[in-house]
Amino acid sequence: MDFSLTKEQLLIQKMARDYAEQAIQPALSTIEKENQVPASILTGLAELDLFGLAMPEEYGGADAGYESYVLAMEQIARVSCGPAMILSAHSLGLGAINNFGSREQKDRYMPGACRGEGIASFAFTEPGTGSDPRQLTTTAVKDGNSYIINGTKRFISNASYPGPLVFFAMDSESGKPTAYIMDKQCPGYSVSEPWEKLGWHGGDLVDVYFKDVRIPAENVLGQAGDGYPILQYGIAYGKIGMNSVALGTTLAAYEEAVKYARQKTHRGDPIAKFQAIQLRVANIAMLYESSRWIAYRLGWLANKPKSFKDFAHEAALAKVVVAENAVQAARIAMDIHGSYGLMVDYNISRIYRDAIMGPQVEGVIDMQKIIVAGDILKG
Amino acid sequence: MNIVVAMKQIPDLQQIRIRNRQPLLDDVPLTFGNIDKNALEAGMQIKEANQGKVTVVCAGPRELADTVKEALAAGADEARLLIVEEEMDSAQSARLIAAALRQMEQVDLIIMGEGSGDNYSSQVGSRVAQILGIPQVGFASCIEVKGSVVRITRSLEDCEEIIEAQLPVLITVMSDINTARIPSVSQILRAGKKPVVSIEAQELGIDIGELSIETISNLAPEMQRRQIVTTSAAELVRALESEGFGGRG
Repeated sequence: MDFSLTKEQLLIQKMARDYAEQAIQPALSTIEKENQVPASILTGLAELDLFGLAMPEEYGGADAGYESYVLAMEQIARVSCGPAMILSAHSLGLGAINNFGSREQKDRYMPGACRGEGIASFAFTEPGTGSDPRQLTTTAVKDGNSYIINGTKRFISNASYPGPLVFFAMDSESGKPTAYIMDKQCPGYSVSEPWEKLGWHGGDLVDVYFKDVRIPAENVLGQAGDGYPILQYGIAYGKIGMNSVALGTTLAAYEEAVKYARQKTHRGDPIAKFQAIQLRVANIAMLYESSRWIAYRLGWLANKPKSFKDFAHEAALAKVVVAENAVQAARIAMDIHGSYGLMVDYNISRIYRDAIMGPQVEGVIDMQKIIVAGDILKG
Repeated sequence: MNIVVAMKQIPDLQQIRIRNRQPLLDDVPLTFGNIDKNALEAGMQIKEANQGKVTVVCAGPRELADTVKEALAAGADEARLLIVEEEMDSAQSARLIAAALRQMEQVDLIIMGEGSGDNYSSQVGSRVAQILGIPQVGFASCIEVKGSVVRITRSLEDCEEIIEAQLPVLITVMSDINTARIPSVSQILRAGKKPVVSIEAQELGIDIGELSIETISNLAPEMQRRQIVTTSAAELVRALESEGFGGRG
C-alpha cells in the first residue's frame, strides 16, 4: 500500500495551486460580488487542460486520471469554489458522454469541451423531482428522425455557457427515462436568471426551459428507455468533483484557522498558546486528513470501478464524510475567529458559506446514508 | 541556437518548518528555486523568439531524476543530470557544471539565476564563465538575442545598464525578469518522456576539489514583534518613516 503521490501528481497539484493563487485569488472579490467567474479565468483553466483532465487523450483530454483531478480541484476550491464548481459539473457531463456515448457522439462533443471551448452540463433535477427518475416530467416525443423536448430542469450548473448538455427525459415510445445530448442555446432552449446561492459564488446555477426543442434522433445517449445507468453514473461521479470542492473548503478553513490562531493576540500572546485553541486546530487537522484520503481514494477508484453500482456506494460514503467534515471544520475555524469570523472582511465567513453547500448538493446527506445502508443490509 | 539553463535542486522553501531556529528538512519535497524557474523561462522565451533548443543542466543527488520533470514540464527540451550524492560548495558545483558544458556540442547561451534559491551565494555563474573563458553578465532583467549578439539590460542599484556581448555568453538573471509559466497537465505528463542523460560525476574525468567551505550553523532569523501602539494615523506614518518605510521621497 503506497499513499505517496507521484512527481506528476505533485506537479499537477502545484500547477493548480499556483494558478489559483496567481489568477483566481486576485479576482475573488469580483467572483463573490458578481457571482460570475471572469472569462479570462476560464480561458486560463482551459490552457492548463483542466477541462479535459481526466478524459482520454483520444478525445482531446489529458488522461491524467481522476485522482489527479481531485488533487487539482482541491487546490482550485481552496481559493474559490466557483471555478471548481464549473469544472466539476463540466467533468460530470463530459464523463457521461465519454462512458456512454457512441464514437460519433464522442468525436462531436468531447474534443472542443476538453479544450474548454464549450462547457458541459448534466441535467436531471426538475422542480418537482429530486433523485427519483420515475417522476420526470420532461418529455421527448419522437417525430420522424427527431425528438421534440419539452419541460423544465432545475438547479443546472453551467447551463448558461455554450457546450453540450446531457439531460434526462421520458421517452415517448418506451415511456422510460432516457438520456440525450444536445448543444445548449439552440432554438427553444432558454435559462432563468442565475440562482443566488448561499455559497460557491461564481458557479453558474440556473433553471433550464425546453420549449419544443428539436434534437436529432441519434442524440440519444446510450439506449432509448435505458437512462437509469447513466443517471446512476451521474449521481456517483458527480460526487468526485463535489467532494474535491468540499475538501478544498476544508483545507481553506484549516489554513485560516492556523493563520488566525498565530496572528490574533490576547494579552500579548498569540491565541495559539491557549489549549482551547490548540484542541480546535487539532480537530480541524484530523477532519482534513480523514477527508483528504477518502477523497483521493474515491478519485483513484473512479479510474477503474468494479461497477458503477459499487462506485455509487463508495461515492455516497465518501460524500457524507467529506461534506460533513467541511462543515465541521468551517464551524470550528469560525469559533477560533470569534466575532471577527462573522465579518465579510475575513475569509472564514465565505468559507463557512461555501462549506454548508456540500451536504445539500449532488444528493443530500440522508439519501447517501440510505444508499450506504441499503448496500450493507440487503439480502 | 543551443541554450543551457543551469538549475539547482533545493528543498521546497515553502514547506520547511523551523524548530528551535533550525530548519526541519525531513520529508520536505525537492524542487527548483523560483529564480531558477525565471532563468528557465528566460531561456524558453529566447528559444521561442529565435528557435533552438533548451537543455537543463543540474548537479545533485539522484532525486534529480524526479525533480527535473518540473523543468521539462515547463518547456525544456532535454536534461543532463550530473549525479553527486555529497554536498558541494559553489566552487565544486562550478567545476562540475563547466566540465559538463564542455562535453556538450556548441553551447551558445548559458542562463542561471543570479543566486540559488537556498544559499544565494551568487558565485556559480561567475565561476563557470571563468572556467570556460566566456563573458558573464549579471543582474539581467531583459535579454534580447539578435544573430550572434545578445543585448542585456542589467538592473543595478540606482540605474539600468544596457550592454551587448557576442555569443557564447553566460547570463545570470534577476527574479523580476519574467513570470515563470505554469505548465499544463499535458506538459506535466509529457515531461517524463523527454530525453534525460544522467552522468555520474566521476565519468566527467575531472577533479572537482575538496569542500572548501564548512557550514557551521544555519539558523532562521529571530523575529521579535515590536508591538508599538499608535493612537493616530499621523503617528503611525511617523513610526513607519522612522523605520525606513517612507519611500524614496
